[in-house]
Amino acid sequence: MKPRFPRFWLPAARDWRPARTALSRRAVLRGVARGSLVAVSLPPLQAMFNAGGTAYACDGVLPVRFGLWFWGNGNRPDRWIPGSTGDGDAWALSEQLAPLAAHKAKLCVPTGLDCKLDNTSPHGSGLAGILTAVPRSQSGPDSTLGGPTIDQVIAQGIGGDTIYRSIQTAASNTSGESWNSPNSRNPAETDPYAVYARMFGDTFVEPGADGEVDPRLGLRRSVLDAVMDDISVLNDRVGAEDRARLDQHLTGVRELELRLARLEEDPPDLESCTRAEAPVGDFGDVDGRAQVRLRNQVMSELIAMSFACDQTRVAAHFVTAPVSDVLFPDTSSGHHDLTHNEGGDQPQVHDITLQLMDCLADTIAILDAIPEGDGTLLDNMVLFATSEVSLAQTHSIQDMPVVLAGSACGYLKQDHHYRSLSGENVTKLLITLQQAVGMSVADFGDGAAAATGGLSDLEA
Amino acid sequence: MSPFPPPSPILGRRTGVLTALCAVGWVAACDDPASDKAPTTASDRGAAPVSDAPAPRLKRLTDPQYRRIIADVFGAEVQLPANLEPDERVEGLFAVGAATTSISSYGVEKYEGAAYEIAKQVLAGPALRDRVLLCDRATLDDVCVTDTLDELGLHLWRRPLSDAELTTVTDVALHAADVLGSVEDGLQYGMAALLMSPNFLYRVELGDGPQAPDRGYDDWEMASRLSFFLWDTTPDAELLADAEAGRLTDPEALGAVVDRMLSDDRTRGGVASLFSEMLHLDELDSLTKDPTVFTYMSDELGPSARTETLSVIERHVFDDDAPYSALLTTRDTFVDRTLAVLYDVPAPVPEGFGAIELPVDGARRGLLGQASFLVLQAHAASTSVTRRGMFVREVLLCTAIPEPPADANTAIPEVAEDARTMRERIAVHLEDPTCAGCHQITDPIGLAFENFDGLGRFRETENAATIDASGDLDGDAFADAWEMGAVVARHRQLAPCLTETLLMYATGASSLDLDDSLLDWHTAGFESADQRVLWLLHDIALSPAFRGHSSAE
Repeated sequence: MKPRFPRFWLPAARDWRPARTALSRRAVLRGVARGSLVAVSLPPLQAMFNAGGTAYACDGVLPVRFGLWFWGNGNRPDRWIPGSTGDGDAWALSEQLAPLAAHKAKLCVPTGLDCKLDNTSPHGSGLAGILTAVPRSQSGPDSTLGGPTIDQVIAQGIGGDTIYRSIQTAASNTSGESWNSPNSRNPAETDPYAVYARMFGDTFVEPGADGEVDPRLGLRRSVLDAVMDDISVLNDRVGAEDRARLDQHLTGVRELELRLARLEEDPPDLESCTRAEAPVGDFGDVDGRAQVRLRNQVMSELIAMSFACDQTRVAAHFVTAPVSDVLFPDTSSGHHDLTHNEGGDQPQVHDITLQLMDCLADTIAILDAIPEGDGTLLDNMVLFATSEVSLAQTHSIQDMPVVLAGSACGYLKQDHHYRSLSGENVTKLLITLQQAVGMSVADFGDGAAAATGGLSDLEA
Repeated sequence: MSPFPPPSPILGRRTGVLTALCAVGWVAACDDPASDKAPTTASDRGAAPVSDAPAPRLKRLTDPQYRRIIADVFGAEVQLPANLEPDERVEGLFAVGAATTSISSYGVEKYEGAAYEIAKQVLAGPALRDRVLLCDRATLDDVCVTDTLDELGLHLWRRPLSDAELTTVTDVALHAADVLGSVEDGLQYGMAALLMSPNFLYRVELGDGPQAPDRGYDDWEMASRLSFFLWDTTPDAELLADAEAGRLTDPEALGAVVDRMLSDDRTRGGVASLFSEMLHLDELDSLTKDPTVFTYMSDELGPSARTETLSVIERHVFDDDAPYSALLTTRDTFVDRTLAVLYDVPAPVPEGFGAIELPVDGARRGLLGQASFLVLQAHAASTSVTRRGMFVREVLLCTAIPEPPADANTAIPEVAEDARTMRERIAVHLEDPTCAGCHQITDPIGLAFENFDGLGRFRETENAATIDASGDLDGDAFADAWEMGAVVARHRQLAPCLTETLLMYATGASSLDLDDSLLDWHTAGFESADQRVLWLLHDIALSPAFRGHSSAE
């Protein structure tokens, strides 16, 4: 059974705006006021139903999640592509995928997929292809991604029921590449302490905690109402481009208002949810080198617990950025510089790819260590690991590097290598990912990147 | 510089002429530096040309502007969160990015956090509280809440609040006061409403609407435009009073106001902001340098390099009122111990920065001899002739460089017996026709600086081979970096480029939205005024484009 849209325990976002004086649901549950309302106003906890009333997704209980795990500067395809295809023992990990050995049983590796956009912008065209399937957009003399990135496309589908629609993090110094539309980036948080404070700070309520509703939450919402009024008034005075910018701003204010409303609710009672461990230590550079692996571990822990607590169902994590020139341990220059200027088989570039796959193995291990239902968190999600090019040396956007980890509640094959011999459009993978989390989509992408239908070979 | 420059064919920056020619051979078109227009004097450049003013755009406060405003309005003691919404460069400038990009959901969240943090701190103790409360704390009542928010609104929104707007924020505060049982606690929510409003977070300068305004910006909008252009912060009480008196829409009175603003010390901060933005000095906070290659690397180097450049610019612009072009050739600079060691000169003072004159027999002088340029425009473990060349072309001469074809092999050959210096190694870039078109525009410039390693330290040789730093820029020959400074200083695109950059900085407009004739008109004035930056600031502040008039009055 393929999962569909999970529906969680909160009513739809926008129509639930209690008057500021209304009692919160928590107060209602405590019997302070009309207890009879409870039965009719609340969907049964921990059950998800589609419109037809059948249970969906992950044993009918747990939501499906999506993680984008991005690194810059691609791979060395000759050392990346596994030599054989199929399931289980039929295929073996390649040299560059070897760091993922402990997790082979939960991997699905598609290779041979090409980005079909014109490769006019080194690192830019491939980024547009793999994350948006839309050609880049020209904005004045500069260009920007032309459409929403896959994390935002999926957040549109499955992000509406949680406190955070999606989160963006990075393990190095970058704003990341999560975009809503041209010129509208969702900046990645690079500071683990800030991620902790946001997800598990003062406002976090552990499952089962029975606290008073802070009246300040309602007051903060009243402030946001005033802000939204100001935005509407301004909206009537500006041109079309500014209106689009204000719309994005308004979306952010609405999301914050909804978040505050949800904080007045009891948190979902998820057995694996506890307050995450606070980060400890200094994540600054050591000897001029960024601590990418350590920062990736800490961020992965915070993302994993955010998923486990259903704070969000969508995360975009940028280990490094496109064109990243991060100076990795044991290398003689920045990553991007080496991809172009290291000679021969580029042993240092290869080593950096291995270091990045060590990081990916860390993330997968962290997600797989959280028990959920009969399996783990990883089983109830798909982690989409990818980069903006394959061979950075030539800015190749053929045979794009992709690793999928987790089955998205049984949707995706596991321990599987699929090789496309016809250089299929990588957009088909983006369609499969949307379908895997329960979205019904057949066509996706624009221009040369447009595609119809997913990669059926990846489906379990 | 964006990692994703535009695909070619390029929509070039206006003063740049090389871009369209990049692929077909640039030399023929560009080897005639004598093709300058005849110099024009300020008096004979005539009236401002009839031209469209750039269409108004909302400009989000940049991170530094937000911090400066809070310090100006509430007090420098207020502690803000380390990160607000990050600023984005568009066409190299945060000012253009601020008029182009949106506020993200996470940004809304951060601005909310900052707003309550500010309100809480301001009302926490008498020092800051007494500055904003318009009554004695003991008599804080509804009327005082209204008056306080009215006054704060004027400063935060840079204009008086309408009755309806004041009622809205006052109601928020009084409702909160009811719920919390404290008028003072309630006031926090009214302050937060002001601080989260788009009327604060954006500079709302719209003239009479979304089209290019014919009527011009109103007095309040002019106060904001002038203040952010010249001071990079919010208008002070005096400027707001000028706005209220209608002086900022009166061309006669405006000149005197601009003069007063230029003589205010805050213009020193504003000019530092503008050059910091233009020269990417903010990036000096996040240098990646391999300490095993660059043993002189330290955490202090980036900040020291920024201080040096900004100090030189400040003295040049304000104290010497010297020509902009002389920034490229001046031997005057300021160093601390970190830079003195790097430059191999005696430290003038034991602590902090002191003025020095660089030796006449060295290679280092001017802006392009400073660490801020040499360190930033280099790789983690080596120099980069392309980056250094691109900086000169794009930032100082406003020429857009197309990105390389995606399938180009950009590898620089490794060091070999017959190719020990960077010049020898990159020779192929300059001969291979697929590379040469663009690399000829950048690399010969970058090679001029090969006597400075990736940290800006002087070297005679590379891999035991003597470095040849000679070349020519658009036909003007140089022997080394010292001469290169003079070549850039007399390049015909230097003055137009600063004019264009300042117009973009002042208006937030894309270079494509600036009118050619207007650009020429300002440039002619700037040239005839001996390229004095203060003169140009004054000229732009009075410009029809800046005031939002489609044509000269």
